[in-house]
Amino acid sequence: MEYLRKFSAQIRSRLFILLLIDNLLFLADWYVATQILHLDGLALLAALIVVPLLAVIVLPWFGAHALTQPTELLAEAILHIAPTNNEQVPSPKVESARLGRELITTLVHQIYQLANAADETARETGQPADLHKNFIAATMPLPLFTLDASQNVLFANQAACDYLKLAEADIVGKSFYSVADMAFADEKTFDGWLSEVRGTKATASSSWERVRLEVSETRPLRLFDLSAYYNQANPDRIETMLIMFDHTSQYSQDDQAVSFMALSVHELRTPLTLLRGYIEAFEDEFAGKLSPEMNDFMFKMKASAQQLTSFVNNILNVARVDDDQLVLQLHEENWREVVRSVADNMALRAHVRGITIEYSVAPDLPPVGVDRVSILEVMNNLLDNAIKYSGSSTKIRINTYLTANGMVETTVRDYGVGIPENVMPHLFTKFYRDHHNRAQIGGTGLGLYLCKAIVTAHGGNLWVKSRVGEGSTFGFTLLPYAKLADEKKRSGNSDITRSAHGWIKNHSLYRR
Amino acid sequence: MDPKGKKILCIEDEYFISELYVRALTRVGYEVTVEPDGEKAVQLGLSDQFDIILLDLMIPSLTGVEVLKRLRDPSLAKPLHAKIIITTNLEQREEVREDIEKQADGYLVKAEITPHELIEFLSHIDA
Repeated sequence: MEYLRKFSAQIRSRLFILLLIDNLLFLADWYVATQILHLDGLALLAALIVVPLLAVIVLPWFGAHALTQPTELLAEAILHIAPTNNEQVPSPKVESARLGRELITTLVHQIYQLANAADETARETGQPADLHKNFIAATMPLPLFTLDASQNVLFANQAACDYLKLAEADIVGKSFYSVADMAFADEKTFDGWLSEVRGTKATASSSWERVRLEVSETRPLRLFDLSAYYNQANPDRIETMLIMFDHTSQYSQDDQAVSFMALSVHELRTPLTLLRGYIEAFEDEFAGKLSPEMNDFMFKMKASAQQLTSFVNNILNVARVDDDQLVLQLHEENWREVVRSVADNMALRAHVRGITIEYSVAPDLPPVGVDRVSILEVMNNLLDNAIKYSGSSTKIRINTYLTANGMVETTVRDYGVGIPENVMPHLFTKFYRDHHNRAQIGGTGLGLYLCKAIVTAHGGNLWVKSRVGEGSTFGFTLLPYAKLADEKKRSGNSDITRSAHGWIKNHSLYRR
Repeated sequence: MDPKGKKILCIEDEYFISELYVRALTRVGYEVTVEPDGEKAVQLGLSDQFDIILLDLMIPSLTGVEVLKRLRDPSLAKPLHAKIIITTNLEQREEVREDIEKQADGYLVKAEITPHELIEFLSHIDA
C-alpha cells in the first residue's frame, strides 16, 4: 500500500504542476496582452480567451499520457498472459514507467505469479481451472467427460465417475479409451468420427445409438446413446465433450426379447419347412386337377406358409445381427433376375389383397455384389410392408436403375396410407411401430431394422420418402459386383461358396 | 446335372423328411435309397454305387461326422465317386466345420430348404 500512496502523491504533484502551469500561462498571457502589446477592448478579450483555451487543450493531452501509462502497462501484462487473446501482446516494459514504477512492477509481478499458479494447478490435476468451479458440469446428472487433443480425460463429473464405477483419480488424466472401452453398433465409431472432423472442421457434433461399454466383472454391461461435441483449438484445452445417455434397461430388454423370440421360433423352422414340403407335394400331385376353389385354397395355404417363413427368418436374422453373427457372402448376381423372382414370389401374397406388383429394371444394370438370401429378405420385407400399408390402393411399383455415382438403386413404392412425419425418425428402430397402426396392421417392428442392417452390411444405404395419404417409397443402393471384385481378389479366393442356407464346392450356383 | 438314373443315398432318420425327399427326388428321375442308421449307411455308402449321398449329421448308432470320415477315409483302395452333401440343422463347432468343409462337397440347412429347393440345389452338383 505504501507504493500506492507514493503513486497517489506522484499523481497529486503532477496535477499540481499542470494546474500551476495553466495558471502561470494565464498570468503571462494577461501580462503580455496588456503591458507589452497594450491590447484593449475586443482584442484583449480574444487574447484572454484563445490562449488559455489552447493551454486547456494541449496540457491535458500531455498529462493524460503520463497519467494513463501505468494502466496501459498493467493492461499489457494481463493481455500478455491471457489465454483467450488471439493477438500476441509482448510483455510490458515496466522500467519505462514514469509514474508509480514500483507499484506497477509489483502488480505486474503479481499477475505473472497468479497466471503461473493457475497453469500449475491445471497441469497437476489435468483440469482447466474454471471447470472445477463449473456448477452445471459438476452437478449434471448425466455422465459428462471432457477430453484433450490426445483423448486424455480432462474432467469427469460425479455422474461419470458413478457410471463407470471409478474414482475421479482413476479417470482424470487417463486415456479415455482405457477408462471407457466402448463398442459401437456399426462402423461409425467415435474415434473414426474424431479423426474425420479433426482435419476438416473447427466445431462439430455427433451422436451414436446403442453404444456398449464392454463388460468386466466389476463393471456390468451398459448400453447408452453417446453425444459428442468437438471444438478445435479450444483455449481451455478441451477438444471434445462427451455425454452418455443410459438406456441399459430399455436396450437390454429389447435384446432379451429378441433372444427369447429367436429361441422359440428356431423350433418352428423344421415343421414349417415340412409343411411347405407337403404343400409342394400336393401341388405336384393335383396340379390342374383341382376345382378353382380348391386351387385358391392351395394358393392361400402356400402364401401363408411363405409369410410365416419370412417372419421366422426375420426374427432369427435380427438375433444374428444383434449377436454380430450375420455373415454375408457377397457374390455376383444378375439383379434383374433377383427383382423378377422377388416380384413373382410376392405376387401371390399381393394378389390375395387385390394388389398387383409392377416392376421395371433399367437395361444398363451391371451385376451386383450381394448375399442373395439376405438381400431377398430385404426385398421381401419392403414388399411385405408395401402390401400391408397399401390401404385401398391396388398397385405397388418396383424400380431399379443406375445412379449417377454408379450404384444400383432399387425403390419399392406403394400408394397407400403413407408415414406421418413424426414417425419417420424412428422407422428403423428395433421394435418401433407407429401406434396409430398398431391395432389395424400386424408386425413385429423388426423388419425395417433388419433391412437397414443388411443393406448397410452390403455397403449400401436404405432410405425412405413418404407423405400421408399418398404412400411411401423405400429405396436402397447396392454396389456393382465389379467394385467388390478387387476386394474379393485381395482377400483370397476361396473355392467354397457360402450363403445363409448352404454351400457347394467348385460350382456356379451363385454365378449365374 | 441330369437326374435320370442317378443314384442317391439319403442318410436320414426323420421319416417326414426322408418321405418328402424320396417322393420329390424320384419324381424328377433320381433313384433314392433311404438309410436311417449310421453303421448300415457306411456299409451301403462304401459299396460305391451312389452318385450323391445326402448325410444328416444327427443319426442313430454313428454320428454323421464319423460317417463322413469313414466314407472319405484316405486309406480306401478306391475313393468314393459320390458327392457328399451334408444336411443338418445344427450349428457346428469351428473344428468340426473345418473337417466338414474339407471332406464334404456341399452343405444344406435342412430346416430352410423344401424338396423343390433341394432338387434345384442338386441340379448344380456335377455328379
